[in-house]
Amino acid sequence: MSAEVSVSIERDADIVTARHEGRQLAAAAGFSSADQTIIALAISEITRNIVSYAQCGKLTLSRMDEGGRRGILIVAQDDGPGIPDIDLAMRDGYSTAGSLGVGLPGARRVMDEFELVSAPGKGTTVTMKKWLR
Amino acid sequence: MADGIQQAASKALLREMGLDEANIERRKKIVGFEASDLPRIAAIRDLVTQHADDYVTTFFNHLSGLDDARPLIASRAIAERARQLKREHLVAMVQGEYGMKYVEQRIELGILYAKAGLDARVFLGAFHQLLKHIGSAVMKQLDRKPVDGFESFMSLKKIAFFDIGLIVDILVFERERTIRQQQESIRELSTPVLQIRERLLLLPIIGVIDTQRARLITESLLRSIRANRAKVVVMDITGVATIDSKVSNHLLQTVTAARLMGAHVIVTGLSAEVAQSLVALGIELSKLNTVGDLQGGLEDAERILGYRVLTAEAGAGPAPEGT
Repeated sequence: MSAEVSVSIERDADIVTARHEGRQLAAAAGFSSADQTIIALAISEITRNIVSYAQCGKLTLSRMDEGGRRGILIVAQDDGPGIPDIDLAMRDGYSTAGSLGVGLPGARRVMDEFELVSAPGKGTTVTMKKWLR
Repeated sequence: MADGIQQAASKALLREMGLDEANIERRKKIVGFEASDLPRIAAIRDLVTQHADDYVTTFFNHLSGLDDARPLIASRAIAERARQLKREHLVAMVQGEYGMKYVEQRIELGILYAKAGLDARVFLGAFHQLLKHIGSAVMKQLDRKPVDGFESFMSLKKIAFFDIGLIVDILVFERERTIRQQQESIRELSTPVLQIRERLLLLPIIGVIDTQRARLITESLLRSIRANRAKVVVMDITGVATIDSKVSNHLLQTVTAARLMGAHVIVTGLSAEVAQSLVALGIELSKLNTVGDLQGGLEDAERILGYRVLTAEAGAGPAPEGT
């Protein structure tokens, strides 16, 4: 089973593709319709960050099966400018682009696991997991 | 008359594609064209000019053998014009002047190819045949050393590649023009603002909202609010599959702008999944005035405007007696 999907993220239209792929994979993995929407939304937020701040990057979606626990793994990677202060970026309402500032903290709230690795000049990688319950 | 129109079209395209003097110079540099190429091309000027008709025939014979080129060959008028332009092209190729005027003429031919739907690969095939014929004629010139002939031909080939670059760019540009126009018309179509009643507008939003579209929606809504002196707007987002923080932000801004224009906005059609995920994500939309479905939204709007909708029976008053 080819359970990995990769979408390159460069423009707004790619966000739509990424969302669509995420929703499909989530549906195939057995997530409820509400969870599919949540997963699509989290994908939307992190890929939006790539388009807004890094211009181009990549989203990889795959299904996980670890000892009977099944779920979906979402990795968003870019070589953009990186995030100098991760704690600040993860704070609700903080944005350097005049947006609502809920993208990253919101995505963390709705996923089961969330990890953000970034340093100035080193790009950003966001890894998110959601388990099937 | 027709020539004037053609020239105007060429000039317009020249501007749209950003083909100015500097760009033309860059293009020459790309193919490695230098001053030393000029005398080498001049050496084969007479040969190419004399046999221009033969080469044109070669070019079009090759095309007529290809199904892919049928639109260009099938129409007599287009084929005749293309032949004429191709002949002018061959003669111009060896004149040593490759400036704005030269590019303009190439563009006219490029537009013709684009109109006939000629594919770049088909054009390349025929153009290669033509070059092959010129090349062998140059090499057969008995009064010149083979190495000189070769150098002349290679210099001419630089111009040929300069021309190919232009033609391919035009074909691509014209093809993308169709896509650009379609995108434009989709955008236009996709943001209708409908008047339901006096001072009541309906704004149904379907599909994906990006920044560009959000701006158009806001613009056309504000314009309609003013034109219709609207007091209430019902914005239905049943057809918007995903509402993330960016889309929320756009919606909030549209609503705020409408409010500044004195119109009250009711948002309808938020699906259960979207509502749930917005809350989970922590997106604050409580500033929006939302009503479950479109019907409810319209009823609310009518109430605000002081309308009372009655069924025909109730509105007719007491039935006349004796019937």
